[in-house]
Amino acid sequence: MTEEKKNGYTRREMLKVSAVAGAGIAIGASGLGTVLSIGKTLSPAKETAATSKADDTIPFYAKHQAGIITPQQEFIYLGSFNLTTSSKDQVIALLKDWTKLSDVLTRGAIRSSTDNKLLPPNDTGEAIDLSPAKLTVTFGFGSSFFKVNGVDRFGISDKQPAFLKDIPHMPHDNLDKKASGGDICIQVCADNEQVAFHALRQFIKASTGTASVHWIQKGFIASEGGKTPRNLFGFKDGTANAAPTNEAFHKSYIWTKENEPSWMNDGTYMCYRKIRMFLEVWDRTSLQDQEDTFGRKKDTGAPYGRKKESDSVNMQKQPVNSHVRLAKQAAQPILRRGYSYVDGMDEATGNVDAGLIFISFQKNPEKQILPMLKVLGNQDALNEYISHIGSAMFACPKGVSQGSYIGKDIFEA
Amino acid sequence: MKKAILSLSTVFMISTGIAGCQSNQTETTSKQQSSASSESSTKTSSSIKKDAIRMQKETKALQTAIESKDNSAIKKTAETVNNDWLSFENNVRDSFPLLYTEIEKYEQPIFMEAFNDKPDIEKLAQDAEKLQKALAQLEKAKESKSKTSAVLNEAVKNYQSYVNVQMDELVKETTTFTEAVKAQNIDQAKESYKKARVYYERIEPIAESFGDLDPKIDARIADVESEAKWTGFHRIEKALWKDNSAAGQEKVANQLLADVKELQTKTKSLTLKPEAMVAGAQELLNEAAISKITGEEEAYSRIDLIDLAANEEGSKAVYQAVLPALVENNKKLADQLDAQFNKIEATLVTLKKDGEYLPYNEMSKDQIRQLSDELSQLSNLMKDTAQIL
Repeated sequence: MTEEKKNGYTRREMLKVSAVAGAGIAIGASGLGTVLSIGKTLSPAKETAATSKADDTIPFYAKHQAGIITPQQEFIYLGSFNLTTSSKDQVIALLKDWTKLSDVLTRGAIRSSTDNKLLPPNDTGEAIDLSPAKLTVTFGFGSSFFKVNGVDRFGISDKQPAFLKDIPHMPHDNLDKKASGGDICIQVCADNEQVAFHALRQFIKASTGTASVHWIQKGFIASEGGKTPRNLFGFKDGTANAAPTNEAFHKSYIWTKENEPSWMNDGTYMCYRKIRMFLEVWDRTSLQDQEDTFGRKKDTGAPYGRKKESDSVNMQKQPVNSHVRLAKQAAQPILRRGYSYVDGMDEATGNVDAGLIFISFQKNPEKQILPMLKVLGNQDALNEYISHIGSAMFACPKGVSQGSYIGKDIFEA
Repeated sequence: MKKAILSLSTVFMISTGIAGCQSNQTETTSKQQSSASSESSTKTSSSIKKDAIRMQKETKALQTAIESKDNSAIKKTAETVNNDWLSFENNVRDSFPLLYTEIEKYEQPIFMEAFNDKPDIEKLAQDAEKLQKALAQLEKAKESKSKTSAVLNEAVKNYQSYVNVQMDELVKETTTFTEAVKAQNIDQAKESYKKARVYYERIEPIAESFGDLDPKIDARIADVESEAKWTGFHRIEKALWKDNSAAGQEKVANQLLADVKELQTKTKSLTLKPEAMVAGAQELLNEAAISKITGEEEAYSRIDLIDLAANEEGSKAVYQAVLPALVENNKKLADQLDAQFNKIEATLVTLKKDGEYLPYNEMSKDQIRQLSDELSQLSNLMKDTAQIL
């Protein structure tokens, strides 16, 4: 376990740990290190497991925020918050608190409580005994963080980044304001849904009095053996967007650099679209029509006229308005990090309320993603089976270094 | 009244060891025991005085390290402070629980922050200064404990007289109400129902501490096994608003008045403990946040907002009673609570039409959400008042 890992375990936890560990560990200056290094499980038996499972932990403090080029975890919880305060100091205090919380949570530690049992515990407890499960926390700021109706809320509007605007109206948009936008977005991803929810819950808890939840969206994704995951229509999704893992690609297309305020250097833009998919209609559609709609074979994922998923698209063979044809025409490299969602049942129709959480990261949304949304909104054959119901654009700052806090340069540079 | 609330508060009582308002029973909080044991030992407090002086010196060294931004020195001195604190913190907790919490509040973050690679110097400096203040208080802490408990006892006395006033009014209004019901005077009954509810909702946790009295007085249809066994306010509420008739409600009315009077008698002989009083303030806000804001409480009369406002008033009465203790221990929290009570009261005023609260079904979703958010904020602050215990 690394040196930093020690910090999450407060003395209170150490004492708890020592109680569990019994006489084996002496508390005192010399015993301190030993106690500190025990994992969140508070069980000495798990100590080795916790330390050897370093690949379960993705550090929060880094040059870039985690949860962007991080290989996709299985679960996502997105929380969009609106600030309820007009005090800049309160916003800064919240960001500082959220930063520390992110560090604690991603290390799999828990916030300690006081000994006063008449007070509620600081941590809600459901992640105790669970590993961090590759938990990542990613922050983004919406345009309304800077300005609402032309009003500079916190005197920081000069720090609004170049491309941070609401996504303009797109053809076929059917947006629900209550599932769109927000001042601050927190993306929480983990390989364990309970760990992911626990994290979001702590952020919400910490925000009371300063911000209120605007919307929450959860999602899941699964694939095995490095294969492209499938969406709820049963098709491989994002084949063309499988972003290379090399740094040069990230530099060229993901991480912002010049012409941005300093807090956005090494940051990126997150484009969010909640896309309802009409599963029942789709499931009654012939395989031929389904494949024509996408322009790919359902089983192999191969584009029309080709053999394998990875084969290049032959435009001659593509149906006129197939998803693949249009996406290819408008193609710009982006980093896709989407999930599927199921929100229960649509009360009006009795149909399943499900679809796709489209998330993409790019350095220049106006060039990389907005044209694609427009083309697809206008002509995509898929539009018969889907509806865009949520939308947001967030500017994700650069990563945080220890001792600093997320978005610090917005206020202090 | 809501079953969920009852069971929640039951769990709360068990887990914290508070016997609710049933103060005749044995008090089992560890704090209580420890404070009792501490009062006898003056020897302990003189040794704590020495410990406090020593720790102040160590903290001074830490402050010097912070001033010179020497990270390794910060680490070292913070560790010394921490180890020293570990050595005598239990004594402090037993003798001066309030100061213990105060010192913990700054000592722990300092220790954590010091071990960051790039510690937040500004925060460290602030915390260290506050730690010094707390330690200085600890050094002179002799009377602090007894003073606080005296202040708290005074608070309980004040609150208890508030409760008694509410209880008298409740009996008075319930008498008017039940008489109107028995006289089949629907309009009069509806009017006095609204008045009587206020006094009950202000002090509901007290009633909840008497086992079956709250269900008998305040159960909603969903709370009872069968409608035949349903008694209390909401039974008559349904008759008045849904059936627009009080026919056949005489028995329920008589029972209600009897139950309310029994509540009054029991309350008069009640000796409240500060823990139960403070927990009650939180329970009132929980009530408001769970059953009133959702419009589940007054399904027929739709006067949920009247109840909600009464919950808020009842909670505020506790706040005002404990204010002296709060100001002494956590002035900032007192200020925040004051501001938040003002805020929610200002919002409640906007929800009145012709001097009366809007029926629940006439509030917009946005109005409900705003009120819900403000209740959460209030509740989030109120939970911290337990620091004074």
